[in-house]
Amino acid sequence: MTPAQPIVIETRRLGKVFSVDRAPIVALEDISFSVPEGSFVSLVGPSGCGKSTLLQILAGLVSSSSGEVLVDGAAVRHPVPDKISVMFQDATLLPWKRITENIEFPLEIAGMAAAERHKRVVEMLALVGLAEFGERYPHELSGGMRQRIAIARALAPNPRILLMDEPFGALDEQTRIKMGHELLRIWAKTRKTIFFITHSLTEALFLSDTVLVMSHRPGRIVGVIEDTLPRPRTYDIIGSAEFGAARNRIWKLISQDDDEAAEGGMASL
Amino acid sequence: MRPLVLFAQAGFVLAVIGAWQYGNTAGIFDPTLLPPPSQVVLALAKLIQSGAFLADAFDTVTRVIAAFVIGAPIALATGFVMGENLGVGRSLAPLFNLVLAVPQSIFLPLFVLLFGLGFTEKLIFGITHVFFVVAVNAMAAVREVPHGQVVLARSFGAGKLRIYRSIYLPAMAPQIVTGLRLGIIFDIIGILLAEMYASRSGLGVLLLRWGESYAVDKLMATTVLISVVTILINELMRVFEHRVGRWRQAVEFQ
Repeated sequence: MTPAQPIVIETRRLGKVFSVDRAPIVALEDISFSVPEGSFVSLVGPSGCGKSTLLQILAGLVSSSSGEVLVDGAAVRHPVPDKISVMFQDATLLPWKRITENIEFPLEIAGMAAAERHKRVVEMLALVGLAEFGERYPHELSGGMRQRIAIARALAPNPRILLMDEPFGALDEQTRIKMGHELLRIWAKTRKTIFFITHSLTEALFLSDTVLVMSHRPGRIVGVIEDTLPRPRTYDIIGSAEFGAARNRIWKLISQDDDEAAEGGMASL
Repeated sequence: MRPLVLFAQAGFVLAVIGAWQYGNTAGIFDPTLLPPPSQVVLALAKLIQSGAFLADAFDTVTRVIAAFVIGAPIALATGFVMGENLGVGRSLAPLFNLVLAVPQSIFLPLFVLLFGLGFTEKLIFGITHVFFVVAVNAMAAVREVPHGQVVLARSFGAGKLRIYRSIYLPAMAPQIVTGLRLGIIFDIIGILLAEMYASRSGLGVLLLRWGESYAVDKLMATTVLISVVTILINELMRVFEHRVGRWRQAVEFQ
């Protein structure tokens, strides 16, 4: 990441209050950060700290109670599909559609012509290395392959930003590591801005330029770690002293927040 | 496996008919109570050439179709609203529990008192048979629409109409068709029941009349005819159900 890159996502004192049985619950408080164009930013925090809520606000799917989100300087109040694509823990492929039709889905919504859509689908399938699986149905693919198709679908409309909500959280360890490498390869090739939510400190450090650390209830940003590990990254880097030191710094930020949060963080490791 | 099953099923049906015919020729069955299948087939051939019989059949079919055409869309709309809106669903739950738990035939005398013996009474009784089962299935279908896919479609900028067309419709289709299939069968049951209880026309009246006058060959012929038609409708709907729900079975095996 070069510091000269313009800011593409900016949040200003974002807050979210839920009302549960008439009692207000502060889910997010005073969230301010910015994401430079083309960077890979991760958000880590214990389960239930409001990470997913934050992502849905960034995506324009949920409104904030206070503050604002700016994408390219414009306030986000509704989904902006030409700029932002979202991915979830579940691949959420439509089970009645073939893989090609699934990738086409956002393009169809955007009103793209059929010929152009097909061209785009072929490109995306090649990008994620699943060119020969286009005519299959989602249930015929493994969990990892389904997530790669979800990446292909998210990138099909050529957004500038990819928001990912624990996309590899439901995968087994080996697949998860492979998917991390795969995502870095795709990122290097497409130069998208990626905002990645995870509760795995290792995953966050391995992937990111910047790691935002979030506390538990109310969800606040308690630290920003600039991840200066050299790129391209291989699996070996996870065993390095540098990696361990950075991981410890994140862990201390989470655990010093308060005892309860520390427990939550421990449980989610 | 599949051809073998079909073969076994055909064999079973033939065996039953064979045993029936044999029982008559061997003098085991009393032909006034159970005529041989050959005689039933002859009676059926005569019936479908008789104008009076066809007029009654026409009345029954008209009632069944009218009840379905009116009842099913109202049921689909009601079920949809009940599924989408928890408050509406909960408010109507007692009515549904009552009607689905109690045999609807006990309301028949009341229907005759309220609506008389004519077309209206049959139609309304048929509609109540179609309505509840179709509505309950539509409600279940809406509740099974995967929320994650709706959120995803929204994130791609999909509006309400697009979400209904691209997510709701295909996700709901199999369960809806199940409801419609049961709805037609219940409809036929309701109309025939109403006709047998009290009516001036229809196949139900004929069944009752022929049963009381020992016209067993005609009674059997009509029974077989109604059975075959009902089974055909059911199987056709099942094929359709299977087609729109192919993805669902595949997902369950995953």
